[in-house]
Amino acid sequence: MTTVLGWLAGLGLVAGLVMGFGVAPREVTQGNVQRIMYVHVPAVWVAYLAFGVGFVASLVYLARRRPGADRLAHAACEVGTLFLGVNIATGAIWGKPTWGTWWTWDARLTSVAVVFVMFLAYLLLRGAIDDHERGARYAAVLGIVASLNIPLVHFSVYWWRTLHQPPSLLKPGSSTMPPVILIALLVNFVALALLGAYFVARRARVLAAEEEALA
Amino acid sequence: MADNWGYVAVAYAVAVVVLGGYWRRLIRRERELAILNAGVRNDGMSRSQQPSETAHPRSEPGKRHSLP
Repeated sequence: MTTVLGWLAGLGLVAGLVMGFGVAPREVTQGNVQRIMYVHVPAVWVAYLAFGVGFVASLVYLARRRPGADRLAHAACEVGTLFLGVNIATGAIWGKPTWGTWWTWDARLTSVAVVFVMFLAYLLLRGAIDDHERGARYAAVLGIVASLNIPLVHFSVYWWRTLHQPPSLLKPGSSTMPPVILIALLVNFVALALLGAYFVARRARVLAAEEEALA
Repeated sequence: MADNWGYVAVAYAVAVVVLGGYWRRLIRRERELAILNAGVRNDGMSRSQQPSETAHPRSEPGKRHSLP
């Protein structure tokens, strides 16, 4: 199953590159630098999804104390942090030619940085507590609290005046994007989502093996 | 507006390095743990039948003499 996911992700990434660079047209206002969107935006969607999985798995762990739920939460939050890191880095690279700055402390960027730091703290907490059961419990609570900030990140562009543009897709009403750009974006999202799922499955397997080695 | 292909290349390169690096790390860790857990699962007898890490040939377990 994991291997199939990996191959699907690989094929999806190739299709995403073809769509992003071969099929989608050059954007009129920004030029070709807009093609960064095909990795920047799907990366944050995958991060949201992974944190959502981590949130549910953390709740299940706190309620039932199942080790499998703890491993899933750990893997999902780690992979979510990875994709959020890609989102922040590619956003900064996109920001320089379009906004004239790598970084600015506006509401969207600040809120996403806060969530990123919270999940880094989550991963550090995992490694800092020797008692595995206690570490898992504390991490589950922190994972839930950190995930609750995701809506703040998403709606920050509506609630405050920001340099960052409002969402083009995850919003009420129909998309304002041309269909070909929208399809390229969705293909890249599916590809990165498959890659994220593959990473979570493999990471959960590694965590199980680590527990076996420590037992 | 200028195309800024350099920024596009750097953005995609960062994504490839981060995601590819994580994938390689997962595979390496999984391989290390597989070896470690295989060693733990086997008892002393069967472990001694595996190739030695220093590549020295090992005698058959049945032919070994017990220490005085």
